[in-house]
Amino acid sequence: MELAWYALLGLFFASYLVLGGYDYGVGLLLARGADPTRRRALLNAVGPFFLGNEVWLVAAVGILFGAFPVLEGELLSGFYPAVVGALFGVITVTAGVQLRSRPAGPRARTGWDRVVVAGSVLAALGWGALLGGLLQGVPLHADGHVAGVTHLLTPFAAAAGLAVVALVAVHGATFLTLRLPATEAEGVGRLARRLVPVALAAVGAATALGLLSDRVRATAQQPVAAVLLPVVLVAALLVARAALIRRRPGLAFAATGAALALPVALVGAALWPYALVSTVDAGSSLTVADAAASGPTLRLLGWLTVPLLPALLGFQAMCWWVFRGRTDGRAPVYW
Amino acid sequence: MDTLLLARLQFATTTSIHFLFVVVTLGLVTLLVGLQTTWVLTDKPVYERLTRFWGQLYVINYVLGIATGVVMEFQFGLNWSGLSRYVGNVFGAPLAIETLVAFFLESTFLGMWIFGWHRLRRGVHLALLWGVALTAYASAFWIMVANSWLQNPVGHEVHDGVAHLTDFTALLTNPSLGMALGHVASAALLVGGMLMAAVSAWHLIRRTPDLALFRTSLRIGLITAALSITLVQGFGFAQFGPVGAVQPTKFGGGPAAEELIADWTARFGPGDYTPPVLASVGLGFMILIGLGLGLLWLLLPLLWRDWIIRLRFPLWLLLLALPLPFVAVILGWIAREVGRQPWVAYGLLPTEQAVSGVGPGVMLASLIGFSLLLGTLAVTNWVLLAKHAARGAYDPALGRRPTQPPADPRPEPAFA
Ligand code: HDD
Ligand code: HEM
Ligand code: HEM
Repeated sequence: MELAWYALLGLFFASYLVLGGYDYGVGLLLARGADPTRRRALLNAVGPFFLGNEVWLVAAVGILFGAFPVLEGELLSGFYPAVVGALFGVITVTAGVQLRSRPAGPRARTGWDRVVVAGSVLAALGWGALLGGLLQGVPLHADGHVAGVTHLLTPFAAAAGLAVVALVAVHGATFLTLRLPATEAEGVGRLARRLVPVALAAVGAATALGLLSDRVRATAQQPVAAVLLPVVLVAALLVARAALIRRRPGLAFAATGAALALPVALVGAALWPYALVSTVDAGSSLTVADAAASGPTLRLLGWLTVPLLPALLGFQAMCWWVFRGRTDGRAPVYW
Repeated sequence: MDTLLLARLQFATTTSIHFLFVVVTLGLVTLLVGLQTTWVLTDKPVYERLTRFWGQLYVINYVLGIATGVVMEFQFGLNWSGLSRYVGNVFGAPLAIETLVAFFLESTFLGMWIFGWHRLRRGVHLALLWGVALTAYASAFWIMVANSWLQNPVGHEVHDGVAHLTDFTALLTNPSLGMALGHVASAALLVGGMLMAAVSAWHLIRRTPDLALFRTSLRIGLITAALSITLVQGFGFAQFGPVGAVQPTKFGGGPAAEELIADWTARFGPGDYTPPVLASVGLGFMILIGLGLGLLWLLLPLLWRDWIIRLRFPLWLLLLALPLPFVAVILGWIAREVGRQPWVAYGLLPTEQAVSGVGPGVMLASLIGFSLLLGTLAVTNWVLLAKHAARGAYDPALGRRPTQPPADPRPEPAFA
């Protein structure tokens, strides 16, 4: 029962990173285009999916609160700076994309685009640092509370944050290769290809720092998974590069998507059976089972979620289907 | 400054900002459903233009509602980790249901609605807006279930200091829920109606083009506002009974309150168990505003032969009255939330036990950061809303044909 909910939580957060990830990736790439029409085209490619992507985060936190209340409190307050940073990013991107398209002047618009770029970096950095932070354990004391926030400030957490920024950039560029009109796809395709080595380097650096860190080595409960999944991640990036070269953007997008989902699987698998591993007192680590809500709550949520899930996925799929294919000027411009 | 006070201030600021957007969302979406349905049924172009104009304002407002709402949701974990630890088994369930049942679908539908003009069939496009509206009300319902549980914790049992869910239906039939939900929903409709009437009044005062269109929306807005103020008053006065019964300390003392305080003193130790007076001051002002807005009914006869437009001063009245309902909703929430102090969950979990263990420095930084960020975004957004409202229904970006360049008199050069 707890495992199923834990998997669902992971699924929602990973889906958010994959879907929200290309929003932020596209947001990042706004930094490159000096040409306003081009920047608008980039946002329009995300257009109809934008609102539906971010809501995976809202739902993930809802599941976290409903099914893992104890974890929710300690996770969010224990990683205060990372969570607040990510949240600032999420908010500025959400509001910025809308606000940038409403003022009349090109100057204001360029200014808002910078805000979107900064927000995208912050969001990716924050979520990356949170995932990295989970892998290096937290000072969870016997009273069940995480003390302090300085435990987050390590090279590994920083490298993990940067790695997610790089992954998001590749993912965004690959998404655009798939979505922009064929004439423009060529250019972003090349960019995506050039970004893959950057992402590989960032992921490699994070992995190396993790292997060197005593804290990370002590925290990993399942060393096999902790070593295997980064290897799979690297393989996914290599597949993406090969697919981009062969002009198979669909496959490349699936691969970069997998690369963003894998860190979540990595954290879940490497820490299992724990949700939070304590660095100060092995006995007070929080297991997934202890973090979960009590039986009646999980049963209630289960009765509700099982019939609901197909509807949720169905309407999201409807959105992808209706607006599938390359942007062709058939949908209104709004962002 | 202690962490608790800072956390409370942050919650009060961010929720208040959130709610200013949420009331507009709930009110406008209801009116929009009416407008678009009329358009699809009658095929009259004026309703298409009304839907696009009000829809544009709705969407501008909505996005900030999301941005502020996300902060609300995270804040429980960031600042109130005790809340999830002790009562999360019960309180978390309605919040989880809300995100899955309401928000998930609402945002998905809205994205398709915004970009679905000229692309989806009309019936499907309309159904999407209905979906947005229904899920918006569902979210109001579930958040009120959660809030009412904090006001009056029911349907649970405490083992080892942690509350466990025993009876979910008790949460849905909570005496502090029903009238409050009606009150909130009708307040939202009042806000939507008054906003529509006031913006239309501005155009009619300035005699901008499109008089006929704004005459229509003035009438819709005013009638909606008048009907809903009566509902607001009804549900508002009806709240005193159930709320006073389950929260004897809220509206001043009395034997029931003294008995309860004696009981709490025995169980939780001595302390100040009466809420700050701030709560009842706010309540008084809100009721004053509510009774004052009852005068909206006096404007209805003036709709006859458009006297309301010909006389002009009623239009000014509508415009100047617009801030009042916004003030009232904030005061109402302060009354409800401050009135349950010093408890997060009334009689169950003291506020000071719910706050997270982060240091005051971190909390202060977060309070300042979020207040500045949300404040700036909110003000920018309102300026934009006002600009777009003032620009008129000439050519809103929402629902513009993809092939048609903007026909705006003040063209936007960067529009692709
Ligand atoms: C347009 C806004 C508006 C207006 C004009 C009024 N209210 Fe209100 N009131 C609200 C908007 C609101 C609210 C923001 O929606 C609240 C906050 C929590 C709630 O349930 O509704 C609220 C709360 C609230 C409460 C507190 C409930 C509690 O503590 O649990 C009471 C007793 C009333 N209202 C009663 C009234 C009366 C008697 C009114 C005047 C005739 C009135 N309200 C006008
Ligand atoms: C959007 C409308 C709302 C507004 C304007 C609002 C306002 C406030 C205010 C002013 C406080 C501070 C009270 C004090 O410190 O004395 C507060 C606290 C709080 N409210 Fe609300 N509230 C709203 C809705 C909700 C809802 C729906 C919930 C629950 C789902 C909720 C849960 C809380 C919690 C947990 C606290 C912190 C503990 C406390 O200080 O009492 N609020 N709110
Ligand atoms: C303090 C508790 C609250 C929390 C945690 C909260 C949480 C949220 C979240 C996460 C969102 C964004 C959803 C999305 O991404 O689509 C949101 C939006 C919304 N909230 Fe709240 N909310 C609170 C208070 C309220 C209250 C009191 C109401 C109404 C009675 C309300 C009604 C809505 C509605 C209708 C929306 C969607 C429309 C919009 O974005 O403006 N919320 N809220």
